[in-house]
Amino acid sequence: MTADAARLPAPAAAPAAPGALRMLARRSGTVLMPLGFAVSVLLLWEFLVRFYAVPTVILPAPSVVWARILSAWPFLLTHLVPTTVETVVGFLLSMILGTTLATFLVYGRRFREAVYPTVVFFQLIPKIALAPLFIVWLGIGSESRLAFSVFISFFPVVIATMAGLRAVPPDMLRLCRSLTATEAQVFAAVRFPYALPYIFSGMKIAVTFAMIGVIVGEFITAQAGLGYLILFASSQAETPLILASIATLCVIGLVLYGAVALAEKAMLRWYGSA
Amino acid sequence: MEPPPQIVVDGVRKVYETPSGPVEAVARASFTIRRREFVSILGPSGCGKSTLLMMIAGLDPASEGSITVDGAPVTGPRPEFGLVFQDATLLPWKSALENVLFPIRMMRREVAPARERAMRLLDFVGLGGFEGKKPHQLSGGMRQRVAICRALVHDPELLLMDEPFSALDAITRDEMNVALMDIWDAYHKTGVFITHSIREAVFLSDRVLVMAKRPSTVVADVTIPFPRPRDMSIQEDPEFNRICGELRARIEEGYARAGEARGPRRSLKAFA
Repeated sequence: MTADAARLPAPAAAPAAPGALRMLARRSGTVLMPLGFAVSVLLLWEFLVRFYAVPTVILPAPSVVWARILSAWPFLLTHLVPTTVETVVGFLLSMILGTTLATFLVYGRRFREAVYPTVVFFQLIPKIALAPLFIVWLGIGSESRLAFSVFISFFPVVIATMAGLRAVPPDMLRLCRSLTATEAQVFAAVRFPYALPYIFSGMKIAVTFAMIGVIVGEFITAQAGLGYLILFASSQAETPLILASIATLCVIGLVLYGAVALAEKAMLRWYGSA
Repeated sequence: MEPPPQIVVDGVRKVYETPSGPVEAVARASFTIRRREFVSILGPSGCGKSTLLMMIAGLDPASEGSITVDGAPVTGPRPEFGLVFQDATLLPWKSALENVLFPIRMMRREVAPARERAMRLLDFVGLGGFEGKKPHQLSGGMRQRVAICRALVHDPELLLMDEPFSALDAITRDEMNVALMDIWDAYHKTGVFITHSIREAVFLSDRVLVMAKRPSTVVADVTIPFPRPRDMSIQEDPEFNRICGELRARIEEGYARAGEARGPRRSLKAFA
């Protein structure tokens, strides 16, 4: 038995060799290479626009977009807030709705047989085509944008949560049954924690979809928000402002996705999947 | 006077209804197991031995026949059974100690008094100091030891083990056999052990039941005469090897009876 103890690997055995340089070398694959590629693309873009003297209204150079971001910053900030808030709220609502619906779908056989085909059907139709309907039903306020954002982002959560709740090893469920555990106990202590890694992968998709939903909503009806700003700028043929808005959107999307990814990392550490 | 047997399996048959017609998992099984006896059920894969164990555990109803434990018919799961599976099936996010305490929580019993017993069990199987580790920080053998502690923590009458060591490498498996033997001598349970390893069955058991395939029945009931406590050295004993040879012959007879003749010679010929 002590032989086993000796065999236990040191957790995350780090190579003994010294730090920073090696770290950089190891990171180069995941950080430096993609960064380098992105910078090269921007440089190429800058060069081509200047070399061929492309009109700014067609395609502004990255440096022009950057200057526009700086000059329009207060403006961008006021439009960034509603978009971000609606995206976050839409995402949270779709998480709650998605996990709840998935739980009912997994537990209720009759409910699943009745409802699941319809849920899938609504995923097969091009959802963006339905966006104007939401305006008709819910008006031009943030309700319709939120509802559409949830509509577009909850499905990946449903699918991921259902898969997760069913991922429990059959022997684990046998053990629970043999211990005469109640279904509520099994859900709280076994099924839901087992589903967490799946739920998080659904969350990563949902957070990007939620933003798409909000932007589409803003395209159709809004007096504020980055989607509105993009439409407004295009009506003025203000291409640098369009790209500045898009760049701001990218940053928000990246931050939100990063937050979910960080939460996932913390969850996986707790979960103990080495 | 002989005490009445603890487990009575009487004319048990199990048929599964499948889309392509009924499949007979167990054709007929009848045997008894005495209190504190360690019995292995030995047979080739697919002979229905795991199904039989699940029926004894009350997790799968028998199609025909009856199973009684301590005089009461098994009609559903009973928490006084401890179960060990082929994989440790631990909760990955829980420490070894919390995994051992899992049955206590699921049975809605008080956790505090069981904690000490859980620690003693972990200590006993050589995992003292590892109680805070999560499953991924433990080796396969250590995980399976945690699973055995978990099966014993609520002091069950019966320990039912479904090929618990078959996923481990040969060396770890030998270690685990010795560890289980030690647990056996210390905790005195009634044990039913499913395996397809002849040597493992002989080493651990008081009795070995041999199951054949098609029809899936118990074809031999062999008493293992070695006194306890045992250690690895009995495996060198000529008697040990004679018993192993006899069991192997019975398994092959089972094949022959089924008209399959799937013994090693035949399969070698098929490769030639």
